[in-house]
Amino acid sequence: MLRFGIAACAVGALAFAEGFTFTIGNPVASQEFQMKTAAFVFRTNGCAEPAASQISATAEGLVKGARQSVVLKVKAAAKPGVYAVFQSWPAEGDWVVSLRGVCASESAGAIVPIGPKGFIRESAKFFPRPATSAEVDASLKALAQSGNKGGSK
Amino acid sequence: MFTRHVSRQLAAHIDGELAPSRARQVELHAAQCAQCRAEREQVRFGMETIERLPPVEAPDAIWVSIEAALRERQSQKAWAARRWRWAFAATAVLVLLGAAYWSVAHRSDARWDVVRIDGSPTVIRAGKWIETDSASSATVKIGDIGSVEVAPNTRLRVVTARPGEHRLALARGEIRAKISAPPRLFFVETVSGTAVDLGCEYTLNTDEAGFGLLQVTKGWVSFQWQGIESLVPAGASCRIRPNVGPGIPYFDDASENMKRALGDGALNVILAEARVRDTLTLWHLLSRVEAEDRARVYDRIASLTPIPAGVSREEALKLDAETLKRLKEELAWTW
Repeated sequence: MLRFGIAACAVGALAFAEGFTFTIGNPVASQEFQMKTAAFVFRTNGCAEPAASQISATAEGLVKGARQSVVLKVKAAAKPGVYAVFQSWPAEGDWVVSLRGVCASESAGAIVPIGPKGFIRESAKFFPRPATSAEVDASLKALAQSGNKGGSK
Repeated sequence: MFTRHVSRQLAAHIDGELAPSRARQVELHAAQCAQCRAEREQVRFGMETIERLPPVEAPDAIWVSIEAALRERQSQKAWAARRWRWAFAATAVLVLLGAAYWSVAHRSDARWDVVRIDGSPTVIRAGKWIETDSASSATVKIGDIGSVEVAPNTRLRVVTARPGEHRLALARGEIRAKISAPPRLFFVETVSGTAVDLGCEYTLNTDEAGFGLLQVTKGWVSFQWQGIESLVPAGASCRIRPNVGPGIPYFDDASENMKRALGDGALNVILAEARVRDTLTLWHLLSRVEAEDRARVYDRIASLTPIPAGVSREEALKLDAETLKRLKEELAWTW
């Protein structure tokens, strides 16, 4: 019993040490053909109960100098903790996707820039909390200044 | 001149499947035989009627009836000619009934229509072979699961068209497939192997010898030849070659040095040039390189990205299938 308790504590400590975070990937990472047209997929890490986590996403854009925000529908994959984001924001302008998640008492956030060829993995930013408006604006500005030429697909 | 009638050759003759010398004999006989001419017109009419029907799958029960009719026919040779006509008539009626039933019951399934043609393509036996010239292209609708754009100078054959399997054979040229269906429903055969749809959009080209390229734009494609498989995700390509199996997949944005090295088999260059997402290439190399090089490939993967829990180096080097699958599923998050 004592061993079990120690092992459980160790596992809990490891999970806590890893923290609640997101990993983004090409739609093929979900291993589900229904996700193939997604802009990208993502998964949660360090969440003991992915099914109980709360996940949301918005597309944040800069179109002709005006800020726009589109609430996105996040589609859950069959595998717990894996989700897909489908493009429902306009093609015009510069856009990033802001991910937010809550698992038990932990939060996570990410900003994923979108280029003409898909999401830009190298420029994505990850946070142990939801991204702030200032961080979203800064990513949009960086995307616009980069010429918006990147993308993973 | 000919004492034997040519009933048995009429269908093949109309289809152009007889050798030239035999075809001439059939024509000469028909010119002098009113009975065979009448039969020829009946067969031609029947075939043209069937040609106009939508391509549908007959229920299995029909084939049981046909086989039974044919067996009975074989056992009564004395009545062969008459039986042949009855069998043909029965078959035609059954096929017509089956087609009518099937087209009602499965109206949206397994249609292979050439829905758009630019220029002036040569279409050989509609529904069987599609051939485009240098000025033409076509779009083939694959039932309800997608479509295939046929580029100029392409020769393509419809092998199977049924709800559970859609199969083309690409003899030469280029196609662009857009498929929205569960994996392993759509196949394209080439001289060098078979492209198996895993939920995808892709371009496949080949010359008549079997040299070509598979480029995937969405989802996955598996290219297989005699047990050798290359899994090609969106953004990646794979060379196809005859008699040696598919090439190693690589991302289109990989370095030119790396792409060259794949062609040359220069492992040192590949390992040195590999980025994190090039673990796609390295994962395939694990099972393709000689055993003494396998550890170098595995260690390079491990240096680029964390190896997931449950994957042991020892099992990976033994090419344990479950271990390699688990490794691939984790690496795919970097692809």
